[in-house]
Amino acid sequence: MSQYGSGSGSVAAPPAPAGGDGSTGAGGRRRPRRGSASGIKGRQGLWGWLFVSPMVLVLGLFLLLPIGMALWVSLLNWDGQSNPFTGAADFVGTDNYSNVLATDGLDRTLFMTSVRNNLYFVLLAVPLQTILALALAVAVNSRRVKGKSLFRTIFYFPSVTSSIAISTVFLFLFQGSGAVNALLKWVGITGPKWFTDANGLVWTILGGLGIVDPDKPTAALASNGFLGLSWWDWLSGPSIAMCTVIMLIVWTSSGTYMLIFLAALQDVPAELEEAALLDGANRWQSFRNVTIPALRPVIFLVVTLGLIGSWQIFDAVYVMSQGAPGNTTLTPAFLSYTAGFGDSEYGRAAAIAFILLAIIMVMTLIQRVLLRDRDKPVRAGRRFGAVRRRAS
Amino acid sequence: MKKNRAATAAAVCGALLIAGCSSDFGSDSGAEQDSSEKQKLTVMIGSSGDAETNAVKAAAAAWAKKTGNTVTVVPAQNLDQQLGQSLAGGKPPDVFYVGSSVFANYAKGNSLYAYGDKLTDKDDFSATLRNSFSYEDKFVCAPKDSSTLGLAINTKMWKAAGLTEADYPKSWDDLTKVAKELTTDKVSGLVVNSSYNQLGPFLKQAGGWITNADQTEITADSPENVEALTYVKKLLNDGVLTYPKQVDAGWGGEAFGAQKAAMTIEGNWLTGAMTNDYPDVDYTVVPLPKGPADQGTLSFSTCWGVANKSSHRDAAVSLVEAFTTAEQQVTFADAYGVMPSRTSALATYEKRHPQDKAFVDGSAYAQGPVTLPGFTKVLEQFDTDLAGLAKADPRKILGDLQTNGEQVLKSNG
Amino acid sequence: MSTPPTMPTPTSRAKPTNPGTWAPRATSSSPAGPRPPRGAGRRILLVALYLLLTGVGLLYLLPFAIQIVTSFKTDPDAAANPLSLLPNPFSLESYRRLFGLGNAADAVPFSTWLGNSVLVTLFITAGRVFFDSLAGYALARLDFRGRNLLFNGLLTVMSVPGVVLLIPKFLVLNQLGIFDTYAGMIVPLLVDAAGVFIMRQFFLSIPREVEEAARIDGAGVFRTFWSVVLPMAKPALITLTILSFQGSWNEFTHFLVATQSPQYQTLTTGLASFVSGSLSSGTQYPLKLTAALLATIPVAVLFFAFQRHFVRSANSGAVKE
Repeated sequence: MSQYGSGSGSVAAPPAPAGGDGSTGAGGRRRPRRGSASGIKGRQGLWGWLFVSPMVLVLGLFLLLPIGMALWVSLLNWDGQSNPFTGAADFVGTDNYSNVLATDGLDRTLFMTSVRNNLYFVLLAVPLQTILALALAVAVNSRRVKGKSLFRTIFYFPSVTSSIAISTVFLFLFQGSGAVNALLKWVGITGPKWFTDANGLVWTILGGLGIVDPDKPTAALASNGFLGLSWWDWLSGPSIAMCTVIMLIVWTSSGTYMLIFLAALQDVPAELEEAALLDGANRWQSFRNVTIPALRPVIFLVVTLGLIGSWQIFDAVYVMSQGAPGNTTLTPAFLSYTAGFGDSEYGRAAAIAFILLAIIMVMTLIQRVLLRDRDKPVRAGRRFGAVRRRAS
Repeated sequence: MKKNRAATAAAVCGALLIAGCSSDFGSDSGAEQDSSEKQKLTVMIGSSGDAETNAVKAAAAAWAKKTGNTVTVVPAQNLDQQLGQSLAGGKPPDVFYVGSSVFANYAKGNSLYAYGDKLTDKDDFSATLRNSFSYEDKFVCAPKDSSTLGLAINTKMWKAAGLTEADYPKSWDDLTKVAKELTTDKVSGLVVNSSYNQLGPFLKQAGGWITNADQTEITADSPENVEALTYVKKLLNDGVLTYPKQVDAGWGGEAFGAQKAAMTIEGNWLTGAMTNDYPDVDYTVVPLPKGPADQGTLSFSTCWGVANKSSHRDAAVSLVEAFTTAEQQVTFADAYGVMPSRTSALATYEKRHPQDKAFVDGSAYAQGPVTLPGFTKVLEQFDTDLAGLAKADPRKILGDLQTNGEQVLKSNG
Repeated sequence: MSTPPTMPTPTSRAKPTNPGTWAPRATSSSPAGPRPPRGAGRRILLVALYLLLTGVGLLYLLPFAIQIVTSFKTDPDAAANPLSLLPNPFSLESYRRLFGLGNAADAVPFSTWLGNSVLVTLFITAGRVFFDSLAGYALARLDFRGRNLLFNGLLTVMSVPGVVLLIPKFLVLNQLGIFDTYAGMIVPLLVDAAGVFIMRQFFLSIPREVEEAARIDGAGVFRTFWSVVLPMAKPALITLTILSFQGSWNEFTHFLVATQSPQYQTLTTGLASFVSGSLSSGTQYPLKLTAALLATIPVAVLFFAFQRHFVRSANSGAVKE
């Protein structure tokens, strides 16, 4: 799973085919009239299963079966030194889940910290990458700009490279005495120690404004908490270190999303924009009132893709920070990994993986629901497109 | 319940029959033994640096040449994680480092082949070390070596600051004073890893520690420990103690070698890294200062674990024998500074390395690591908290350590 | 687990389109209709636009430029002048060390990483192209019991993110006895759900008449697939090949949990362990960046040579035709 940065962007489940339209389309409605003889059909059945058998085997063995086995392990207290399928490990029921979600303790604090980190990651990365991608797409798509394919290439390139290689580069750039801080020095700013700065962005900014002292948590916030984390910690915002991870992700993923926007922009009927301009609207108004509404479904798509992808950051964290400093770059995915291979608590690791799966599934469902509404404006767009094509 | 589980296992295996249900999960007995003439062994080490890696490689190569076997030495990036994965995967390396902190875990999980009693002249290993690597009265694995922590001082900077041998810090106040005097724009007076492995001595010096002597109680939130961390926090806030990452270094030794630090607290392995990577830096090692209570340092020891699942156990034990001869131990000690585990070799070491006397002397009063099973994550969290000590409340950090530790103690039963 | 870029959303299947239009339309739209008035304001806007594009473009290029330059620097130079675009002195030491020409003791096992990456990438790419096409064709064209169920299963499976499968996959590989083997690295990646989906969508767009003609001529199902339909699928196959190559070359997490021995390290897992373990390897950034650079080059070459296909695959989700 080369999430983010390897160009393979985020997983998005396509919307479920509405009412069997997709899955039966070919075989059902357009079933060859001539081929309906039972002999051919029988042969097709055999060949069909033969053709899909490698897929069924591989996906079954390495996607479905793992899920089943992990579900079992998530109910065990298994330390990895025996066979979990023979009864050597203790069956503990839902203890692993409750330790992570309900019982006060280190396991819950760690998990909640990782959830907090990821929430802030989502909160910053998703809007940033969506806006950046849209801005780049609109700029590149502008008819007056020459060399648009060059720009498109430049913006898209980071998305296809290895996330590990890119993270290595960022590690170098963001060192305490690295290139980024050297650059900041030119403009008179002393850059932070990016990878060692565990301070939350919110308190850092409020501290800069003199509203709170980041070093002295407000008592009311620090002494009360929720799910094992104090309010001070919940509200801290992403740490400076997490911000570098966010920058990396925004930088690598915006290219992919830009392409999606670019493709969609082609479908925005030029007549509408031009009509708006002729009516006296300025560029911004036409962009806001015509382009954005026409793009709305694609914006939804990109946002949900971002939401789903953001819960899967692993590579960048593995290479750049391993959860440090102060656990502020710990993500649920990385926590699951270290709980298993690091602490040899495979039951807890599997339980975290399942909770993460649930979170992502919810996001996917939201995406599907949203995309179901998506066709309407698109169809309208296509109709206009047809008009345009005919006109030209 | 048991029956149920067996049924599930059978069902899962049934599903896997297509691909062959050759489970690699631990059958609790050891693996089938390879009896061929030429065997291929893998040794996984958690190396302190090139000096150590090269020394182990050389020793392994010598043994391989003599016996006709092949040995691959693998320096792990994260030994616990890589060992954990390979043990769970049923493909552990044949020989590997086992730190005293994880020894109990592995021994309990029956992952280690208990060969200690087969060793030649096993009584030459010090009794303390033999004891730390015994489980259920069986001497499991041969102690590799031991290390303690000392205070390393850059002699040139020391002189430049106008300090003499008489100024070697004897107390916390001394330490604060010299650290301040050594700190300049470019150099940090004292760089110490933000880990309990290096900051732990302060707890001891204040008269505290994470657990009681027999590890049946967590004593993390004692006033002594609070005093220790408050002192460290003050050093941090005064800017005379910095963590390696703040000066773009991986560990204290690197900051020290690269002359970003005038002093550091590290163990014997520092000497190997210094000779290998920074031969031009002059330094001396002195005992850690006394705290309000007494002197305090930590000791670390490692043993050569042989995997129960190894199919080359006899060859592996023979390799370990070669690694632990008195002569070889002195060679290791020369290469990277650790103290030999054989009493006979330790005597030679003391003679040959008078400059490392501070480390040897430390053994007398050193505190060993916490060895409770499942304690790793608690200590990792403690390390994480220590990294943020400059802005945190020591009481809160120790309170968390207390709660987390008690929880593990409770779940261990 | 490599996942594709945005999953293609099911395109409208009501009207089969011909294979040619499967590709996204050219990026420039035909200027038609009345043009908006020109003026000084527009020119300023254009300049601003160019400034923005160039500025952001630099931000996107600079890291790569610094990476390339740093690979020719010495350690002290890289540490002292991280931003300088002129290596001083110019050094090939990193390259020498990576290819084992320097002091043997400190060489990074780069050739092992490279060899493994090439090996697994070749197998996985070949496997994906073949098996994905087979399954995609069956799901699109062959009439068999359980097809709808399979297709819906496929859609579900595609939404299972790889990172939650880290521990689970390890368990299965272990149970099958292929943990820490080439088989364990390759087999689980031989088929990918997204690729099957892409191929299915493509085959749906091929006119049925072609196959029927072949069938009337007496060709069997496999012959029809192999010598009639597959050759028509060339654009999709190229896209799939490139996607698979890129995906398996950049794959990290699967190899991370599927292997443990250094002999199976690929460019990604090798580089990650080399970079993330700060102990003992010092900082050695020129060496690290050179390794990262060499790991990037194959995909970069592929990208610049076949950019059209990359763009197409990223777009296959959004293009509505």
